[in-house]
Parts: sequence; C-alpha cells; structure tokens
Amino acid sequence: MDNNIKHQAELKFDTNGPFEVKGNFIIKDCNGIIIPTENVVYLCRCGKSKNKPFCDDSHKF
Amino acid sequence: MENNNRDYTNGEITVFWQPKFCIHATTCYSELIEVFNPRKRPWINMQGASSEKIIEIVNKCPTDALTYKWNKDLDSPPVSKNQKTEPEMDAPVVIQVMRDGPLVITGKIDLTSFEGKVFKTYSVSSLCRCGVSNNMPFCDGTHRKIAFEG
Repeated sequence: MDNNIKHQAELKFDTNGPFEVKGNFIIKDCNGIIIPTENVVYLCRCGKSKNKPFCDDSHKF
Repeated sequence: MENNNRDYTNGEITVFWQPKFCIHATTCYSELIEVFNPRKRPWINMQGASSEKIIEIVNKCPTDALTYKWNKDLDSPPVSKNQKTEPEMDAPVVIQVMRDGPLVITGKIDLTSFEGKVFKTYSVSSLCRCGVSNNMPFCDGTHRKIAFEG
C-alpha cells in the first residue's frame, strides 16, 4: 500500500460519476456491519444503482 | 443574525439543537422517531423517551448539531463532542451507509473532484447518495423530500 495514504482515505468524484475511494477505509452497511471490499471501490452517487451502495454504471443510462 | 438554535427540556436534561452543524446523518430520527421527528413541530418531543435513551441518541449524532446537558449542570460551559470523537490518526476512515440517506464519513479524508478541485479535509462529513442534493457532493437533506430508498 502507498505509505502516503496509510492514515487516510482519498475520495474522488466526477460531475456525473461515482465516488472512487482508496486508502485506509472501511465501509459499514445500514446495520453497522462491515462490508468486505476491494482496495478501490466505487460508490453510487446518482441514486439509481441496483447494487447500492456500490456503483453499477446505472448513471450512464 | 438569527442562528435558529433551539433547546428542549424534560425538566431533567436539556437537548440543544444547532441546525448549522447538522449534516443530515439521519441517526436521530432513524433510531428514535418518538423523540426526533422532523415532520412535527416542535421537532423534538422530550416526553417521547427516557432521559437515558435520549442521551444515547444525542451522543450518536456525529456533530454538535445535537448536544445535551443535565439541568443541574446548565451553568457549566458547553460540552463539545468534537474532541472526544476525534478519530485516532491510524484508525481507518469509516464510511457509514445510512438507510435511505447519505454516506457519513468519519476520519481524515481528501475529497477531490476529477477536475482537481480539492475540498477541505473533514473529520465528519456526509455525502449525497440520492443524486439530487443542491450542495453536491454533500448531503443537504433533500433525500427525505424525494423519499430516496437504498
């Protein structure tokens, strides 16, 4: 892992795209349960994904 | 300028509401609608639950939007939650998905648009997930008006 981002997470977003999340982070679902993820995840920002909280490219359609 | 701050008491404790700090995390009304109901006026009903239960939920508010004091301590200085909830430097950033609501982020983050615009690093922030906030990328509470589900 890149040591520069060891103690924090980076979130990037495009005007019409999802959040790209990298770094040292955990995601918890509505019930507080940790969702196992890859090192980089894409989180829905348009409200249309069928796979919330993750992006499924629904924003493109 | 009017700050719209309010306080509510049941005679034993007083809950302080500072709307300028609210990030619409929805913790209060999703966990204790009997007390915290944004559709009612006044929106906080101190008779809706015990003081202990109200304190539990106020402490879950991720910002100082909701704080409380025991009435016997009303003269002492205000207690901010920010110091005691400051995350450890080596703790992972927590991204909490709120039911039918935003992402609540706790920890040090860099938030950057792909055009390179950098937003300040926040210790607690909430990010829009419903797609209709008027304050992108942040949540402004609009998900409730459109009955966002997810």
